[in-house]
Amino acid sequence: MDEGNGIARRVGAVVKAAAIHSYSLILLFLVWEGASRLGLARPLFLPSVTDVVRQFGALLASGDVLAPLVLSLYRAFAGLALAVVVGMIAGLVMARSKWAHWALDPLVSLAFPAPKIAFVPIFILWFGIDSLSKILLVAFTCVLPMLVATYHGAIGVSRTIIWSAEAMGTPERTLLYRVILPASLPYVFSGIRVTTPVALITAFTAEMIAGGGGVGAALMFAQRFFQTPTVFVYILVMLITGFAFDHLMVRLRDRLIPWQDETERP
Amino acid sequence: MALSPELTFLPDEPRWRWLRGTFRLLPIAIFLLIWQVVVDLDLVDRSFLPSVSDTFAALWQLTRDGEIGLNLWVSMYRALGGLLIGSVLGVAIGLAMATSERANEFFGPLVATTYSLPKASLVPLFILWFGIGDTTDMLTVVLACLLPVIVSTYHGVKAVPPVILWSARAMGTPRHLVLWRILFPGALPSILTGVRIALGFCFVLTISAEMIAAKSGIGKLIFIYGENGAYVHMFGGLLAVILAAFVADRALLAVMSYLLRWDDAYHAASAHG
Amino acid sequence: MSRICIERLDKRYKSRDGDVPALIDINLEIEDGEFVSIIGPSGCGKSTLLYILGGFIPADSGTMQIDGKPITGPGIDRGIVFQEYALFPWLTVAQNILYGLEMAGVPRRRREDIVGQLIRTVNLEGFENRFPRELSGGMKQRVAIARTLAYDPKILLLDEPFGALDSQTREAMQDELRRLWLAQRKTVLFVTHDVDEAVYLSERVVVMSNRPGHIVEEFKITVDRSGGREATVLSSAFITLRNQVWLSVRRQVGAPSL
Repeated sequence: MDEGNGIARRVGAVVKAAAIHSYSLILLFLVWEGASRLGLARPLFLPSVTDVVRQFGALLASGDVLAPLVLSLYRAFAGLALAVVVGMIAGLVMARSKWAHWALDPLVSLAFPAPKIAFVPIFILWFGIDSLSKILLVAFTCVLPMLVATYHGAIGVSRTIIWSAEAMGTPERTLLYRVILPASLPYVFSGIRVTTPVALITAFTAEMIAGGGGVGAALMFAQRFFQTPTVFVYILVMLITGFAFDHLMVRLRDRLIPWQDETERP
Repeated sequence: MALSPELTFLPDEPRWRWLRGTFRLLPIAIFLLIWQVVVDLDLVDRSFLPSVSDTFAALWQLTRDGEIGLNLWVSMYRALGGLLIGSVLGVAIGLAMATSERANEFFGPLVATTYSLPKASLVPLFILWFGIGDTTDMLTVVLACLLPVIVSTYHGVKAVPPVILWSARAMGTPRHLVLWRILFPGALPSILTGVRIALGFCFVLTISAEMIAAKSGIGKLIFIYGENGAYVHMFGGLLAVILAAFVADRALLAVMSYLLRWDDAYHAASAHG
Repeated sequence: MSRICIERLDKRYKSRDGDVPALIDINLEIEDGEFVSIIGPSGCGKSTLLYILGGFIPADSGTMQIDGKPITGPGIDRGIVFQEYALFPWLTVAQNILYGLEMAGVPRRRREDIVGQLIRTVNLEGFENRFPRELSGGMKQRVAIARTLAYDPKILLLDEPFGALDSQTREAMQDELRRLWLAQRKTVLFVTHDVDEAVYLSERVVVMSNRPGHIVEEFKITVDRSGGREATVLSSAFITLRNQVWLSVRRQVGAPSL
């Protein structure tokens, strides 16, 4: 019994500390709720916090949150996986071969600043409205940052490490995946961490533009029919998803690459 | 002698540098060539992938008709206008957060939460509030640009070495001048890096917002062409966007190179490529 | 007048296991126009003492006064030169030197005259419009010194200013510093770990103990420097004093620290 109280007290202290530190957020919610309760804004434009929460629960129960979310996540991560594989290979090759670098560098430089989302109509033309076009668009958008991250990781591998390995008679292919790859992993992982939100955003946005299921399409649908609480719910879903995955990435990084010196983190 | 992409067999004189430069751009020409050949050999249906010549012709025609020019101008106005407002606000908030514990406590949670929110998701909400138009688009762009600039400003200020601050104080710099004369210039390299990231975002969000719903803009134009089956024009519009984004990025890099001409780290990094 | 008076000064640092003393019971008096070096083993707190005098970090107890007035923060009466130069990288050489003058409200024409003079004094003609990143270590340090001298502070605090330089440059800079001091007779507090440097430059050398630092010995330097560097350094007076100081410091290095 006493132990339970001790834990409860500690949890209470943590919650209180968290509340004090994020008072601006709490203030925001209070102002929001206050404004809608006082009738300062029409429910069409600003539903109350309680309405949104209630709608969240309703949609969750009816499966209208999980089903589109799973679809969006599938598209985002399938595309990301593709981008990671292609980006890593291309990045490693570019780092080790001067001719590969020569061939790809101008294309990368030209494509990098371009907003890949502008390719949505093309991808729909080529691959249809369903998941394939979205997966490929995500892959297309994510491949460049992954390539660049891998490239910088690979060329950053200290020369002395490579020379030691070569002096010990390591052939090129083995060198690549026993020395350069592990040494570039921190950069690669950093690239994945930075690119994951890009994958999610691209999937959501492509769905918003082109439809075809997923959270983005559901959001647009709700907006078209002026179901404002639902609009808020899906915005929240996107927010929570992004938040959750970023935290996941940080945890994963600490477990997968424990050898990395804290000070060297890219 | 082995042929290397840097064309090392050429002497390092100015008159050979143009040849070196051209050689570096050669892969793009090869890419265009492959594209043209693929289409000409009917390896791909022409309605799916117009030829290089057709695309450039369409781009040329649309530019002359003014359709691309007008819409591109509108999009650039939204994107760059949003970038400007977002950057100025972002620097101000970042400076505040880095120098005032109270500002940090206030803005910190707000920044951390909106970090994970795809700003494009706010477009439908803004359409509901402000209707379809410039306000919605620019507001989305401003919000998207705020975050990278706030974060980079904050870290830039925190990274100013204490001995620099101490020297400034020892030389009689009053408190209200430290921010503007010492912290801001010291943080400038970091701030501009954030602005460059924001530049990328602002194009993505402008196009996204326009494709979701807009009355004008190059994003909407490309979308309409796609819907109406005018595929060659669609590719032409896309080409215009790619070129515009590239030029804008290069322009920013040129400005950065000048503004940061005193920065050791920036020049060491850019020497790397 | 700029007499520095330090009495019973203490400084502690907070750590996980409680307070770690850095300086204990420092008592030091420096006369107006005196050149004093502080020397001691690494980590003894000599730089900390300088930073406290500069007003950048507070003392925990004791008093510090300049001409009877307590030190409350940084001020233009105490110019500081750091080992890392601390030049403003976004300003040119001339702009760096101008900075203190601008803060002091010196009128423009006069400002430019002073900057011109100083650039000549530290032999940096032709480099007025260069940025610090284009300069060598020795040049940067000369800019740092010029910048501090520009607004004419009564007291100069120097924290191992020549530590990062190669020995030839260091010797040249030492001579230049001594020349400037002889001309202007400012009160100088010079922190270093180099015994030869301390004895060569100062009128008095103060030796600090290992951490937590307190003053263990003082040496009055009575060496005839009129014959130039070679004559001075090779003279028996210099060698004797130098050895005495060295021995004193060495004893502190070997002594137990906290």
